[in-house]
Amino acid sequence: MASAIRDKALVVIQLSGGNDYLNTVVPYTNGLYYDFRPTVNIAAEDVLPIDDAFGFNPSLGPIKRLWDEGKVAIINGIGYPHPDRSHFRSMDIWHTAEPEKIGKEGWLGRVIRTLDTKGDNVLTGINFGRGLPRALGCRGVPVASVGNLETYGLYPDLQEERSRQFALQTFTKMYGGGAGRDAVMGFLGQTASDALKGADILRTAPAQYASTVAYANNSVAQSLKSMAQVIFADLGTRIYYTQYGSFDTHSGELATHAKLWQEVAGAVGAFMDDLQAHGREDDALLLVFSEFGRRIRDNGSGADHGSGGVAFVIGKAVQGGMYGEYPSLKVEAQLEGDLHFNNDFRCTYSTLLEQWLGLEPAPIVNGQFEQFACLKTSAS
Amino acid sequence: MSAQAATPSITMQYVKTIGIVNNGFNGRGFANPYDLVVSQDGRIFVLNRCDPTRAAAIRVGICTLEEEYLGEFGNGFGTGDGQFAWPVAMAFDSQERLYITDEHNHRISMFDTSGTFLGKWGTLGGGAGELNGPAGIAIDAEDHVYVVDQHNHRVQKFTTDGRYILQWGEAGTHDGQFNLPWGVAVDAPGVVYVADWRNDRIQKFTPDGQFVARFGESGRGKGQFDRPSSVAVDSEGYIYVADWGNERVQVLGPDGSFQLQLRGQATLSKWAEEFFASNPDEWQTRAISNLIPNLPPHLNTPYHISSQTEPYFWGPVSVKLDRENRLYVSETNRHRVQIYQKT
Amino acid sequence: MHQQDMTLMAHLLRRAGFGATRDDLEAYVAKGYEAVVEELLHPSDPQAMPEDIIRRYHVDQSELRQLDAAGANWLYRMITTKCPLEEKIALFWHSLFATGYAKLNQARALLNQIDMFRRYGLGRFDTLLVELSKDPAMIIWLDNNNNHKGSINENYGRELLELFSMGIGNYTEEDIQECARAFTGWTLGNAEYMAVRASKDSIWPYGRIAWHFEYRDGDHDDGEKTFLGETDRFNGEQIIDIVARQEATARFISRRLFQFFAADEIDAHSEQTIQEMMQSYFDSGYEIRTVLRTLFLSDYFTSEQARYARVKGPVELVVGAIRLAGSYRTPTLGAHQLAYQTFYMGQGLLQPPSVEGWHEGLEWVDSGSLLERINFIAKELSNVQNSGVRAIIARLAAENGGTLMPEQLVDRCLDLVGPLSVHDDTRAALVEFAAMDGALQLKGHLPGDPSERRVGNMLRMIASTREFQLA
Repeated sequence: MASAIRDKALVVIQLSGGNDYLNTVVPYTNGLYYDFRPTVNIAAEDVLPIDDAFGFNPSLGPIKRLWDEGKVAIINGIGYPHPDRSHFRSMDIWHTAEPEKIGKEGWLGRVIRTLDTKGDNVLTGINFGRGLPRALGCRGVPVASVGNLETYGLYPDLQEERSRQFALQTFTKMYGGGAGRDAVMGFLGQTASDALKGADILRTAPAQYASTVAYANNSVAQSLKSMAQVIFADLGTRIYYTQYGSFDTHSGELATHAKLWQEVAGAVGAFMDDLQAHGREDDALLLVFSEFGRRIRDNGSGADHGSGGVAFVIGKAVQGGMYGEYPSLKVEAQLEGDLHFNNDFRCTYSTLLEQWLGLEPAPIVNGQFEQFACLKTSAS
Repeated sequence: MSAQAATPSITMQYVKTIGIVNNGFNGRGFANPYDLVVSQDGRIFVLNRCDPTRAAAIRVGICTLEEEYLGEFGNGFGTGDGQFAWPVAMAFDSQERLYITDEHNHRISMFDTSGTFLGKWGTLGGGAGELNGPAGIAIDAEDHVYVVDQHNHRVQKFTTDGRYILQWGEAGTHDGQFNLPWGVAVDAPGVVYVADWRNDRIQKFTPDGQFVARFGESGRGKGQFDRPSSVAVDSEGYIYVADWGNERVQVLGPDGSFQLQLRGQATLSKWAEEFFASNPDEWQTRAISNLIPNLPPHLNTPYHISSQTEPYFWGPVSVKLDRENRLYVSETNRHRVQIYQKT
Repeated sequence: MHQQDMTLMAHLLRRAGFGATRDDLEAYVAKGYEAVVEELLHPSDPQAMPEDIIRRYHVDQSELRQLDAAGANWLYRMITTKCPLEEKIALFWHSLFATGYAKLNQARALLNQIDMFRRYGLGRFDTLLVELSKDPAMIIWLDNNNNHKGSINENYGRELLELFSMGIGNYTEEDIQECARAFTGWTLGNAEYMAVRASKDSIWPYGRIAWHFEYRDGDHDDGEKTFLGETDRFNGEQIIDIVARQEATARFISRRLFQFFAADEIDAHSEQTIQEMMQSYFDSGYEIRTVLRTLFLSDYFTSEQARYARVKGPVELVVGAIRLAGSYRTPTLGAHQLAYQTFYMGQGLLQPPSVEGWHEGLEWVDSGSLLERINFIAKELSNVQNSGVRAIIARLAAENGGTLMPEQLVDRCLDLVGPLSVHDDTRAALVEFAAMDGALQLKGHLPGDPSERRVGNMLRMIASTREFQLA
């Protein structure tokens, strides 16, 4: 299945819960920041400076390193009109690219359908984690949700290999009979066959994997490791998705936020190192996003749901830099006490769709949106 | 039989509410508080049972009456040392070691007040000294540990290191029998009181388990109970009952006679005020709201009423007293503690 | 026990409930088909896991702040109830009036709505629609709290006509507006505070505050309205009166009930039955109970044609397997995970993807969900510690001295989990599986023995069949 021209992969990391923008990309020389954040702030001497206005939260070490290599685009002030501060609803909006009404299809589900219109490869899109996010949901588009790559498939609870093999053989026989069956039975048979085939193929990925890069023992790092394994196995997978959290830091924010970012940044760093070690840096691009930022004013222990946030696009193909505008903290510029978004997330989606995946963005994100020049004109 | 006092001989003065919901893994606030103890220096230790999605956050939170949050400790969810699955109740011994029961791990774990794990005892079973769902725990002045062994429908008495001393009780409705008992308290003379949960009553025993008296029966009236979960006794012998299913606290006299009932009147804690200071939109709409609404008939059980009436007790799982006769009512569904002063 | 009676009764219980264990099935067959239909249509005491017990151990179900807690609470009820139709009809209405957590951020309000379906779901349809219009979860879901005199919001008015009764083509845009006017003032107590909290998913400071209906007379537009050709100063109840007596409503409800309880697909033959259902809708004064009675006693429903004519939805599948396996009968650590399981399979309770609810039938099945479905039920039914599985083992051990040849093992197990009929090829594969280890000797079996595990494995394979995915 390896091809000479490797198809580009998009890796999406969803930070669930509402990542605190102000404490991720910190305006450490802005007095207003410390005025509004008397308790829940990052001290100026602790940030990893980007320039003399902004710095990264110290837990973003590996991402700072990638920034220095020019591989990180920071999308400042990302959001959408009439922000919704409810997790479910706001995440749905990001998933379906529909801020104004309830969307029915996930944007990445549409992408998968566009990339593989005939459904030839059930592994075109893979979610790493249980439960398919709506972003990948689209009627008729099969997407695997992989909790554990090594045991993915039927009967993961059957530990004893011999029992499992007998059970799988019998399953295949039971679902094999095709002649004379009605449409329902035929459909079930075909679906099972697709599922098993997909599972068999997927399990070859960890089997073939060899690397010296170490991934930490947390779920986001392990998910990214699984993604790397699948990339190297050349299974034709184009869309990779995983979620991590919870970033919903209403209290005890500083400690929790630091730990989460240490884990995410560590996972991203290891993943990028792994790609580089295998000569695959040109093949993948990461999008890291959250459903909203958090309020400007802290509540004494954490910060509550806000709106305007930050996203990262990371990869060798990135033209590193700050994009969008860092929202002003001045009261008159705030949106109901939140950072005012200045670019619609569908601009970022459109950028990735057209400039990275080579797809027409409008049908996928329900409209035309201005794109960022955050990717280098890539050589394949 | 509910006896009724013409005028109660005591009054309970509402003092304040402390707490706020915390749906994270640390920091100020509570997460389904299930019990509480007060140390000699006045620190309040709150047992956060936590909902299962956040089971890793099971911890003991520590604060003061002035609502200063001092910190927390916990080793997360599991069966390892210092870990919990379903923690229920806590008690201090004379050395201020903290004993915490776990009704799923069937054991008692001990910590010091800085959270260092000291040891554990208890194994699943029905034999003498074995436990099946330890719930309430109380320790007397001689460091005898009384553990309510709920699925064995009995109370057992141990030394502080878990050596079995004696037991009493069995399943049933007669005197000295229990049905899924929950809370336990011991007074200064060493008399033991048990919240006999599914028998809707309180039973009183001597230190070696001789039945002395029972109070209460099923119902919503004065002196009646619906699944009492916790009991506390003050130095004068007044009995405080967390009448969990009726969403109230009742106070009985030393003879068991009904004195008064409380249904809760929570106000904003300091942490709640801080929340509203940074969320003016909620504050403004709250200001025009009626927080004690009239409810339609199908929502008129105590549980449903409390779910919609923020000041009322909701899930009052535990009643505890401190040395100054302050009563602490821990409400598991409201993530707060309402405090009253006996006068 | 006549085998025909058993298979028919099993079919009824799969449709009107979640299936039945062999013990239950024998008890039902002894009562007779019509008597069981009546019993199902008149739910009495569900004798489900008591609420106080649930709340003591599952602190999250005491508070019901979170979606998985609410889902698990309903699942416990579905698993332990003795009145399965009460839960099945609630599931039906939930799928139809699809109100979801995503916008409400209020799990308790959603469960209160489900409870309303239990209380009114088999009664008169017009009464149900009135209760639905007063349901706080529905009010927020379709923005009726923003529907004011002089400034209407059409959302509820529209969906009431389009999705919940007559369907598109039976009313005009003006009718929608008049309908919306009639429902002005139908809001909830403390609506502004509750709406802000819902929009921000706020649980501070002291958790969620539950919702209740409030009628704001001052906000109600009591002017004259013309709706479906009739004119008066209609309030919501009168609109529903008019809607309920429309033939389009009768057809809509009968078709939806047919698809949920009888068959995923409607064909020429089933049209006849639907006509009969529509007739009983009118004859009974719109009573759902009567419509269902007509269906359950119809030639179509009791014929071979209706057997296995539906794909089990994830909730049906999971609850059915658990009821058979005997697990989750007492508070079980990790019960909230059940709510996730059905979500992974594509049906998250209390969180339908949109107001259109779930797409059923074969749309439940894709390569991802099929693996989730089979993996879960295979694991549950192969666990020989589960009491229902042990009951099956006990029955097998009591027959023929506990000795079973491969064919007997297959046929007896198919009988005891259903009875389930499978195609010859399926049966042949199962027999081959059983034959790998020869005859089965259960005599003197002890818990966890290899002989017991062979039964568990056979149940695993049966649960994995295509036929088991169908109701």
